Amino acid sequence: MMYFMFLFGFCFVFWMVGVSCNPSPYYGVLSLVLGAASGCGVLVGMGGSFMSLVLFLIYLGGMLVVFAYSSALVAEPYPVGWGSLGGLVYVVGFVLLVSGLVIMGSFLYGVEGFGEATADGVGLYVIRLDFSGVSWFYYYGSVMFLISGWGLLLTLFVVLEMVRGLSCGTLHSI
Amino acid sequence: MNPYASMIITSSLIMGPLLTVSSNHWILAWTGLEISTLAIIPLIAKQHHPRAIEAATKYFLTQATASTLILFSSIMNAWTLGQWDITQMSNNTSCIVLTTALAIKLGLAPFHFWLPEVLQGTTTMTALILTTWQKLAPLSLLVMTSQSLNTPLMLALGLTSALTGGWYGLNQTQLRKIMASSSIAHLGWMTTILTLSPKLTLLTFYTYTIMTSTTFLMIKTLETNMMSVMMTSWTKLPTLNTMMMLTLMSLAGLPPLTGFMPKWLILQELTKQHMFIMATAMALISLLSLFFYLRISYYTTITLPPNSTNYLQQWRHKTNKKPYLAMMTMLSVTLLPITPTLLTIP
Repeated sequence: MMYFMFLFGFCFVFWMVGVSCNPSPYYGVLSLVLGAASGCGVLVGMGGSFMSLVLFLIYLGGMLVVFAYSSALVAEPYPVGWGSLGGLVYVVGFVLLVSGLVIMGSFLYGVEGFGEATADGVGLYVIRLDFSGVSWFYYYGSVMFLISGWGLLLTLFVVLEMVRGLSCGTLHSI
Repeated sequence: MNPYASMIITSSLIMGPLLTVSSNHWILAWTGLEISTLAIIPLIAKQHHPRAIEAATKYFLTQATASTLILFSSIMNAWTLGQWDITQMSNNTSCIVLTTALAIKLGLAPFHFWLPEVLQGTTTMTALILTTWQKLAPLSLLVMTSQSLNTPLMLALGLTSALTGGWYGLNQTQLRKIMASSSIAHLGWMTTILTLSPKLTLLTFYTYTIMTSTTFLMIKTLETNMMSVMMTSWTKLPTLNTMMMLTLMSLAGLPPLTGFMPKWLILQELTKQHMFIMATAMALISLLSLFFYLRISYYTTITLPPNSTNYLQQWRHKTNKKPYLAMMTMLSVTLLPITPTLLTIP
């Protein structure tokens, strides 16, 4: 079981590195899908099964589809992937960078105890943190909820304003 | 712009810094910063020509990086200390990362490179919002965390910013770039005194906001953005010409104008803390800024007007006079005698 957790964690970091070091946004979005799926696996292992389901549905099913369509707008006729030598140099460099940072971080903060904390309640106290957290959002966190909702509405209008105008606007390829 | 979009964007622009200023939790402060960044992007890119889009892109990238660093520092602080209070930043690493992030947000040297280009790529009024209102949120975060911040780092940032602001403006003839370098220099003065007396930082910010707003409103009334055009703009509004010189000298910090007050109080506070070399260096470096303010005043007010003109006149369109410009000019020129009252402002 610990090997499963390690595998999910490693895949998460690897695919996230793949997002940043990909020469083409098409393969970057694919890498993001796989990385988000591995992140869901990590969440399940921590005991947040509901969180993981919500992440899969909303993030992967909703927002990532939007990312994919947006990246299709910046279309390249011949996208460069990891098959070429240039892409491989990117991957090796970024993996070295990330592993170097993790080693440095382990000197500062320590990596023992990885995977010990879970989000489940223990003993008689059987409130599941991830389920009840959603209801907390609507009551105790109502102001922050409203502000977050306003922020999302603002982002929608800002993006619509920035891409408005077909070929006369910001994005000349539309 | 579509009226619904314009309504949402303008209200978010007002709401963003107010959220950050009134917050005690790092997440709410970060949310306010992100809202203010997002809301001003379409205003920067309103004219949709490539330079404006480039300015909007540069603004977005730098501010998003800085917001990420703020989030990182607050999470690091919460991890080691277990609480998200803004005033209790005890983790040293997160303080340094936060200082870097807020320096990027404000446009302090050595992270000032985006500011002149963003101001130059957009309209005069948007440049005004960028230099005054958008500085409110990061500066309030700096003041709230000022007791945990590193004094030598603040002094270094302040000195470098004053130097960079002064030096950068020496070669500029475009007024928006000159105002950008004035912003960098004034923010340098503000960060110098931050750890020693946050009240003086806020006082400097208020006076800087009034003086910069006045200057930008004058530039907007004259409808020019180049020094060469402003030289011959005195025929549009001769009274404005005189006030322009006084406002520019106030920005430079010459007594007996308002701009002298924050510089005087900062130098006094520095000498009280036995930082004589720092005080002398700051005073001497602000001479660089004085040079380009004086050059604009010289060419606009002192040399040509008011005499008969034998050069090509500008077209005098219907001047859109701003009714509040007179009050702002009075504030930015005559506030020095009431300095003791202004010291009571928290």
